[in-house]
Amino acid sequence: MEEYHDYLELLELSQDSTPADICRRYRYLKNLYSGDSIEIRALNNDFSEEIRADFLLRLDDAFKKLNELSEKSRDGATRPRTDQDDELRLWLTQIDCFTGSILRSIRERMKVELKTVFAATRIQTHFLEDIEGEVFESFPAEVYLRSYLIEYARFLSLDTQRVLNDYLPRYRGRAAK
Amino acid sequence: MEDTSKHTEIWAVGGGKGGTGKSFITSSMGTCLALKGQKTLLLDADLGGANLHNFFGLITPKLSLTDFFEKRAMLQDLIVHTGIANLELITGSTGSLDSESINYAQKQKLFRHIRSLEADKILIDLGGGTHINTLDTFLLADKMIVVTAPEITAIENMYQFVKSVYYRKLKSIFKSYDLNTVVQDIWKNRTAHNIRNLKDLIGYLKQGSDRIHDIFNLEMSGFVVHIILNEVRSPKDILIGENLKRACVNFLGLQVVYSGYASYDEAVHKSINNKEAFMLFNRLSPVIKEIRQLTENIETETCFSAPEDILDGRIP
Repeated sequence: MEEYHDYLELLELSQDSTPADICRRYRYLKNLYSGDSIEIRALNNDFSEEIRADFLLRLDDAFKKLNELSEKSRDGATRPRTDQDDELRLWLTQIDCFTGSILRSIRERMKVELKTVFAATRIQTHFLEDIEGEVFESFPAEVYLRSYLIEYARFLSLDTQRVLNDYLPRYRGRAAK
Repeated sequence: MEDTSKHTEIWAVGGGKGGTGKSFITSSMGTCLALKGQKTLLLDADLGGANLHNFFGLITPKLSLTDFFEKRAMLQDLIVHTGIANLELITGSTGSLDSESINYAQKQKLFRHIRSLEADKILIDLGGGTHINTLDTFLLADKMIVVTAPEITAIENMYQFVKSVYYRKLKSIFKSYDLNTVVQDIWKNRTAHNIRNLKDLIGYLKQGSDRIHDIFNLEMSGFVVHIILNEVRSPKDILIGENLKRACVNFLGLQVVYSGYASYDEAVHKSINNKEAFMLFNRLSPVIKEIRQLTENIETETCFSAPEDILDGRIP
């Protein structure tokens, strides 16, 4: 378990971090240190290519190991793989409206079961089903739906704002009738 | 809210590059503290180009630090009122062309006398650059603050500044333990020890021996630099402060906190040119709130936390 802490430390996370935290932080750091931002370029010699490569390697390794460890300890509650294959990524960019059925397809293509989503987001599976099936009666108030959508979209590594913008008007339109 | 103990807390504001808004931030933080009822003294230690008095519409004070150094005045005699309750100012030397000639004894005397001034907070505004006098004055502080801007030149100079400060601190500490030459010797032979940068040096020193390890932990654990990002123009810029902190911790091996940011606002520019105290006349500017927040963060040693959506890169 000690190495688990070392990996978390590399990701600058505390011990009670959720798999979602780990995933988000990994993506953020990976992006920061492989990118070409001014705050990194200004480091010059203190962040040579050699140091950069070494750090990124350790980062990738830590993320991989953390995922493996949490898979073991969490009884199958795995996160979707972040290195989604290119085909899936391409397909995601072509989606023009995040409807319930699209969310379901995304989840299925990522090979994630509803109970896994529940394990990470603590959203009851029947609510997830109702989001995917657009059973809007299950959500008498928009705020609940909204917060579920944010969590769910985050879990699927989607742009939460876009999901809200696409999905909520559908809910409002139905509710108005 | 008010500090009841007699202890005076010194904040030093540096940053390596000129024009990043050190004086603006210092004067505004000072105003903020004074308005909260803390007796605050601003010390303009930009010995080459002191102009903090402009931020309060004051004419160049008759007496400056030059008079103190040349023994024509006591430090207390240099204090002028800014027109804001609880806020006073000591100006640096404005006319002197030989600002780097301040010697060690003069510097020591200044540091002694600063400590004896009566105030809850003393805010020292340093000039740009990494001159040894600037570094030493910075190291005098209880809270070390750097102001930088989201521009590569400002960031490069900031890194250079914090590294120089840290190196200077290392040397002075080891000197006080009669190990004067340890740090310098290691650094001189850095290729032999496989030391590429400051972080490697720190790692090397920590492993060196138990004694050095203990000295290091005792003396350097309190060495924390506070970053303020000024002239922020977009939500993405806000994140730069967060990234700077990460870069300093991971690749320079320094303890750094991101205390907050101030947005770019035309109102700041106008207010400086009108020689008005910005914090008093611009209630609608977001910068007011941001400066209040960052001042409070520094006071309470809180980190500014970037909103989650910015961290996730969801804002372009």
